[in-house]
Amino acid sequence: MSDRSQLISTGEPFKFDQERDTEFERLIKRYPERESMILPALWLTQEQEGWISAEAIAYIADRIGTFASKVFECATFYTMYHLHPMGKYHICVCRTLSCWLRDKQAIVDYLRDEIGIEPGQKSEDGKFSLEEVECLGHCGTAPVVQINGEFHEEMDVEKLTALLAELN
Amino acid sequence: MAEMIKLFVNGNEVEVEAGKNLIDAIGAVGIEIPHLCYHPALGADGNCRMCLVGLEEGGPPLVPACKTPAAEGMKVLLDADHIKKIQHDVLEFQLINHPVDCPVCDQAGECSLQDYYMTYDGQKSRMTVPQVTKSKKMDFGCGVVHDQERCVLCGRCVRFCRQITRTGELGIVNRTDTARVAIFPGRPLDNRYAVNVVDLCPVGAMTSADFRFKQRVWFMKKERGVCHGCSRGCNITIDHNREKDQDDLIYRFRPLFNEQVNGYFICDEGRLSYRDENENRLTEARLSKTTISLDRAVTASLKEFKRAEGIVILISPDCSLEQMVSIKSLAEELGAPLSGFSDGYIKKGDGDDYLIQDDKAANRAGLTALNIDSSQSAFEEALAKAGLLINFNNDLSLFYDESSLKKLFKEKRVIGVTSRDTKLFQMANLVIPVASFTEYSGSIINCDNILQTFNRAITKNDAPLDMSEVAALLGGPLKTNGDRYDKLKKIVVSLNDFNPDTIPATGLKLT
Ligand code: SF4
Ligand code: SF4
Ligand code: FES
Ligand code: FES
Repeated sequence: MSDRSQLISTGEPFKFDQERDTEFERLIKRYPERESMILPALWLTQEQEGWISAEAIAYIADRIGTFASKVFECATFYTMYHLHPMGKYHICVCRTLSCWLRDKQAIVDYLRDEIGIEPGQKSEDGKFSLEEVECLGHCGTAPVVQINGEFHEEMDVEKLTALLAELN
Repeated sequence: MAEMIKLFVNGNEVEVEAGKNLIDAIGAVGIEIPHLCYHPALGADGNCRMCLVGLEEGGPPLVPACKTPAAEGMKVLLDADHIKKIQHDVLEFQLINHPVDCPVCDQAGECSLQDYYMTYDGQKSRMTVPQVTKSKKMDFGCGVVHDQERCVLCGRCVRFCRQITRTGELGIVNRTDTARVAIFPGRPLDNRYAVNVVDLCPVGAMTSADFRFKQRVWFMKKERGVCHGCSRGCNITIDHNREKDQDDLIYRFRPLFNEQVNGYFICDEGRLSYRDENENRLTEARLSKTTISLDRAVTASLKEFKRAEGIVILISPDCSLEQMVSIKSLAEELGAPLSGFSDGYIKKGDGDDYLIQDDKAANRAGLTALNIDSSQSAFEEALAKAGLLINFNNDLSLFYDESSLKKLFKEKRVIGVTSRDTKLFQMANLVIPVASFTEYSGSIINCDNILQTFNRAITKNDAPLDMSEVAALLGGPLKTNGDRYDKLKKIVVSLNDFNPDTIPATGLKLT
């Protein structure tokens, strides 16, 4: 784990777009405590912007009516929240048991050579970012790669080559 | 009286209060259970595991003492080998990334981690990997400086800001060994009790910008006192020291627990009011700007009394009951009207629903109890008719601006009996220095009608007199504290049965 507490500021005020606004209002009715909306609101932000800025955290805190320190805690605790901009295509490779046994390393190595970045990095042109993540829940079809939230199962280098060509 | 129960600690029977957790129950009879995260004002969080104790028979063999209520017949183990090993191991974990910079740490000497290490651990570090580094000297606002590396993540400071002040500025961000206490950028500590986190912090991670590097704690002497910053009268510990060739100086006020007055905390303003005890003090008597001896000042005052066409006496609402009764008797002796006018001490809307009061006077209830008139009209009328004002430390400048004061004092003689060398008293013709509240013993009544006594904590090199003594020198009939108490009891019915010596340290609720 590295320090995730150095938040990035955009210098622009943040706010939900129409769609997320509606979704926020829909979800908040589900919970007896408004604070329960911290995690869903962080997801909505990430969906909208691809990452979560300092301004977004302040916005969520004020919108929910809780302390910014609490949203800050949640955002830095869970590594699935991106606290800096990711590549246009954010590639997650599962590194948990099933995927590991089914040679996720070959996939990581291939991507490293092909795009020229290590897990945790973003390519210079901003097109790709790579991350190793824990179990994505599709162990039956390991190894699993997730690109911008979309699953690609039973991956191997061949399939990945085709996929990258499509993205490029 | 709380219900008592019997239980066993290391096989010895002890009697403890029911309804408390093991830390407090057993702690009350002098047996320490080491703990970092638990604090009676903040409740048990159970995160540090320093308080694990063994239970023989019944229940799990190992429990966190902070979360375990004392129960009849319980068999608590503290000195068994496996418990000692746990304490030792928990400390080893705590110290993995701890900088152990005690020699330059303000907390050294009053640090739980340091004390526990000496008592329960004492081994050399076995770590060979580099330590996780974090930020130091972080300005958290409100005069709180944070060192993330020294933090043991007990969460006391975070809980204080969430539960007590409900301002929630602090959080624990990240996780595992990179976890740390932080403020959200741009939202620093912003509450009037913030510096309490420095006292709450069991280690040197939270330090006070005001106190940092001023004194090693073991050089300071500690005395009990009562804050005079407002009518709450919070109990404080006065930490002071007389350095070689210097005067006795106060280095900090800290909160002192008193359940019925202030609980465990004090406000930041009251905490910093120690500065007024050190700085800007009147140390010598002055007659028309010339320094004179106390004897001469008294003679000069008596001459003024004779010469004056009408005297009016003004008294500060911060005075102790003993001082008030002495000055009241002096006023009676001189046939002078006495006023406690001090509307300026009331800052409307400044108080809150916690400790801070609108009324910045420490003993207004005392004025009322002694039937001392405090109205503006009575004071101004009396002054208009008089030629001499004797002001016993009443800060009129809180009410009148400079030009109004000049008008008020026009063609009057003014004698100031004061501890502070302020503009107001520089306008007086004659000033006599007196002790400030950390330098005398006395009693005051707070906003909730609780009578509290306090003893002299500080003795200055040239210790100024108590105002009561000055009143006596100026012809007041009450020469001793005995006299003063007799008179007090005559006036204040509720004080009838009580002696200063029998007032409990926690104060006495008057009815
Ligand atoms: S700063 Fe002090 S009080 Fe706050 S979590 Fe760290 S050790 Fe505990
Ligand atoms: S609340 Fe009042 S009495 Fe208490 S510390 Fe603050 S100023 Fe002093
Ligand atoms: S182990 Fe990879 S999806 Fe579960
Ligand atoms: S005091 Fe019990 S776990 Fe910290």
